[in-house]
Amino acid sequence: MSYITPLSQRKGLQLFGSPNELFLLGAIVVLSLVIGLNNSVFFSIATPFDLLRSSLIEILFALGLLIVLVSGGIDISFPIIGIFAGYTTVVIMLRFELDTYSLIIPLILAAIVGAILGSINALLIAGFGLPTLIATLGTAGMFRGFLLSYVGSVYIANIPLGLDEFSTADLLSVETSAGTLARLHVLVIPILILAIALAWMMRRTMFGRTIFAIGGNEESARRMGMNVRWTKARIYMLVGAISGVAGILYVSLQRKADPYDLAGTELEIIAAVVLGGASIMGGYGTVTGTILGVLLINLIKDNLILLGVPGSWQRAAVGLMLLIGVIAQAVADKRRMKQTVTVAEEDSQ
Amino acid sequence: MFGTKNISKAFGGAVALADVSFSVEPGEIHCLAGENGSGKSTLIKIMSGVETADSGSIVLNGEEFRSLSPREAVAHGVQVIFQDFSLIPNLTVAENIALSTDVLERRKLVNPKRNREIAQKALDRMGVSMDLDATVQSIPVSSKQLVAIARALNQGVKILFMDEATTALTRKEIDHLFGIVHGLRDRGVATVFVSHKLDEVQEIAQRITILRNGSVTAEGDIKDFDRKAIARAMTGQEVNEVRLAPAVPDNAPTVLEVDSISSPGRFRDVSFSVKAGEVVGITGLLGSGRSEIAEALFGMTKIHSGTVSVNGTPISFTGPRSAVAAGIGYVPQDRLTQGLFLHQPIAKNVLAAAIERFVGPLGFVKAKSIRETVTNWISDLKIKTTDPQNPATSLSGGNQQRVVLAKWLAMSPSVLILNGPTVGVDIGSKRDILEIIRQKALDGMAVVIVSDDIPEIVQIANRVLIVHQGETGAEFEGAAIEETSLYKELAA
Amino acid sequence: MKDISQNLVKSLLSDRKLTQLIIVAVIVFATFSILVPELFLTPRNFVSMAFQIPEIALLALGVMLAMLTAGIDLSVVSMSNLAALSTAYLLVTQVSEGDGNVYVWIVITIAVGIFVGLVAGLANGLIIAGIGVTPILATLATLTLYNGIAVGVRNGQSIIGLPEEFVAIGNSSLWGIPMPMVILLVAGVGVAIFINKTGLGMQSILVGANQDAAKYSGINVKKVLLMTYTLSGGLSALAGLIIASRSASANPDYGSSYVLLAIVIVVLGGVNPYGGFGTVTGVILATAVLQMVASGFNALRFSQFFYQLAQGFVLVAVMVLNVYVDKRRMARKKLKAPKES
Repeated sequence: MSYITPLSQRKGLQLFGSPNELFLLGAIVVLSLVIGLNNSVFFSIATPFDLLRSSLIEILFALGLLIVLVSGGIDISFPIIGIFAGYTTVVIMLRFELDTYSLIIPLILAAIVGAILGSINALLIAGFGLPTLIATLGTAGMFRGFLLSYVGSVYIANIPLGLDEFSTADLLSVETSAGTLARLHVLVIPILILAIALAWMMRRTMFGRTIFAIGGNEESARRMGMNVRWTKARIYMLVGAISGVAGILYVSLQRKADPYDLAGTELEIIAAVVLGGASIMGGYGTVTGTILGVLLINLIKDNLILLGVPGSWQRAAVGLMLLIGVIAQAVADKRRMKQTVTVAEEDSQ
Repeated sequence: MFGTKNISKAFGGAVALADVSFSVEPGEIHCLAGENGSGKSTLIKIMSGVETADSGSIVLNGEEFRSLSPREAVAHGVQVIFQDFSLIPNLTVAENIALSTDVLERRKLVNPKRNREIAQKALDRMGVSMDLDATVQSIPVSSKQLVAIARALNQGVKILFMDEATTALTRKEIDHLFGIVHGLRDRGVATVFVSHKLDEVQEIAQRITILRNGSVTAEGDIKDFDRKAIARAMTGQEVNEVRLAPAVPDNAPTVLEVDSISSPGRFRDVSFSVKAGEVVGITGLLGSGRSEIAEALFGMTKIHSGTVSVNGTPISFTGPRSAVAAGIGYVPQDRLTQGLFLHQPIAKNVLAAAIERFVGPLGFVKAKSIRETVTNWISDLKIKTTDPQNPATSLSGGNQQRVVLAKWLAMSPSVLILNGPTVGVDIGSKRDILEIIRQKALDGMAVVIVSDDIPEIVQIANRVLIVHQGETGAEFEGAAIEETSLYKELAA
Repeated sequence: MKDISQNLVKSLLSDRKLTQLIIVAVIVFATFSILVPELFLTPRNFVSMAFQIPEIALLALGVMLAMLTAGIDLSVVSMSNLAALSTAYLLVTQVSEGDGNVYVWIVITIAVGIFVGLVAGLANGLIIAGIGVTPILATLATLTLYNGIAVGVRNGQSIIGLPEEFVAIGNSSLWGIPMPMVILLVAGVGVAIFINKTGLGMQSILVGANQDAAKYSGINVKKVLLMTYTLSGGLSALAGLIIASRSASANPDYGSSYVLLAIVIVVLGGVNPYGGFGTVTGVILATAVLQMVASGFNALRFSQFFYQLAQGFVLVAVMVLNVYVDKRRMARKKLKAPKES
């Protein structure tokens, strides 16, 4: 008996809904042991704190991308939207001398800028029906080109104070045995809340179910009376806003606004989301899996040195990891397809 | 009353429907019969609001409408279940049934418990029980159909159109479906079966409307029609049901030898042989394994034990290519997605399997030989087209099937396996295609036809094998091949 | 001879997309000629463009082959850099100043570079056809991996100081035509012949049209895909070698913006699912159009970022236009009788 885990076995907001997620968690645990045994520096409270700090922004981007993937599309413009929103927000705040201590203003500004850019994606994909990969490839080029041509190509080190100070806003700071400070950034809380909210949205709102429906069978969703076009438009606007917020938070944590940043990071995040169980064909994916995927990739990336990988080879190591990840996903997908066919055959005889 | 009054519709210059009136009463089981091109799909589209008629009116629940929007049609109880059921595979049974209500009520939040109750209610009305939380992609085809019906019920269906509803069902499932349709009838829901399976139609329907070339050619109570009369009204011709099976010379060599092949979960211990010039029909209910056997002989399904030999040489299957190399050709069930390259020129389609035969030592294709070959096959099989460079989509169903046949005949296979060769082909073309098969058999080809179309098998086969739950059973030969005994054996 | 050229012209013009592209080319040419004739209409500019077009066109041809089979190859730039680095490394370490065997080494190292490209492409093919990863994800991953390898082996550094004999190849001309352009034309003809005249080429088109039907027709889909991505790797390597020769250096991160450009070119050049000479011609012509835009922008002193903006815009605009053209074609079809009603 190998149905895909029936919903009846899931209750409410159960954390682990699929074997894939358990596997990821297992991989994280095993990997941690391996790294730690290789170099005991790893086993300190600083490690999870640092891991979280380096992963939080990516998790935000990844959650936005998850929504797009579940709907059956792909978006490679989201990091560009992020840096566009982040950089532009800083420029606006500096130009118009807005309240430098506020955190709310830049967040709202970035979200708005992100949503506007996202709505351009929405227009092309939902409005004109362009294929998502090429459409977002085009908008990525447009947004980046526009940012560097018209908003500015200058590195800004003096970002508004509020944003700057936020980078050291820690929830906890613990002194480690090594004498350094292990800091858990406060962002953990809002991002956790957002993740839970997003998971709830995907499972319990019509918007969320429509997204799954579109990813499963767009034509059938349309015949059911679902407003596919409008839902798609909302998806890309929402992802734009999320990416915008992620972008300004990135600027804050980095304590600089560099318009050349973030470009090229889409690959890693796509790999993380796919590793987390989202299918590139659409219709499948969970918040938990996505978060675990990001954590796993960052765990490896951040500790390559501890694993003995020299600096110049780190990018290759990441590439190899991405490759293994997508291959594993493809193999898992294939197995899933095979299972359902056999079950159906058994039943029909 | 549901139906249409004097509906006419033309696309450009071509008339799709001319003054079509038909009616269905609540609780009636009606059959809408017609060939491809008869206008029945346009009629359904007009009744469900997807298309607008040029003149005439649609009657829903006694009310007359000049035109409908899809939403209005649904609101008045019109539901259409297409062959693909239009379900969402990654959502649960409960969600597939109940979400449309949520959509209708413009809800923002989803209440899984309420959805489950709604779904359960619909299923209860059908007397069906199912795991509400299973994802639709994990349930068998017959269950999917039931979910689609439950969804229609949930949307307050008053007239349900079912397009070729029994194609993917086993006999048992068909009986079950018919039971449910009777249940619908008792509840006052009208069901319209769009079907070309005349024997099933006679079993379930009370009244029938037959369309040909956009006009109603016959209608009335089913009991007043026999199969010949229905076919005549559908085609306008006397259907020639004279047997076409070729005479097989006694000394014909055995070309295909299938020896105890098994594939766990699909078929077990299947053995038979086919001589040159023989047409062997393999039939069985859906799910009996007949399709799987065909696909296994083409290398698409793995054979775990047993051997298949062509002209004495055993084949070690690694996939379709090994089958082709051994001289086996396969005309698949699903012409549109498996047999044809729809947007490619007809010429390329004909060539698709044989490309490597026309490749010289350096890998270059011999353009002139290709052109000649293509022209020959088009005329040989009488493929109706103005230009071989036209895309395959420009052809009718019957001509498309000829293209698929041409593709394989161009390979001069020793064995040709056909799976459901005349599905979706108009009756006129059906006969022609069977004639082509007969001719090729007379030329020495060994033919295997897998089909659930008993009349077709009776017409063309020398021998018939019945497949039952993965195993070959009764065998019929020569004069013993006739419908009643075949049907009896199938139902056994 | 006249017959052949007449037929060629006729078949080229009958391809509607190609005709549109020619019109666009003429318009772009005219626009920049009018705006900045002193910088645009100079022989120096045309020679410069003729040198720059080939490397990008070759990359685009690689992407085009992948798109013909309904896939995509995003790793072309990484593969080209890897190939360039391999050749450059060998040249720099094996050839010393005034070495008599220079030309022998050049031939060997070029062969090695192309080999590296073919292997990288083959790896792509194995991942896509052998394991079954979708081309988008597979080439996204290999793009990073190949780039990472290029960075790793040289510690992130470029290789400079390539022997002048090698550099001469990319910067010289044959009968007035720049060498890179000659290489492009030869490669272009080769690709066109492959698509139209070889069995594998025809099979590629069918695989791209309907992979299922191709399988059911006994076509060796795996072989076709392997060949496609391997060829893409080879073409990328060729591009990389031209780049290395022209710039006398090899750099692991060169041309990262070329991927977008290559896709814009392929979309603009009209990936024609029916194959036909039109496709390769379209790609080369589209490259020329975009190169004209780049040089025109340069003359107008627009930044390179504005060029990137324009690329993205062109990509999007062309696709939106395609949607409209298709819609009108569908609407016109609907008025005719549908085959089945």
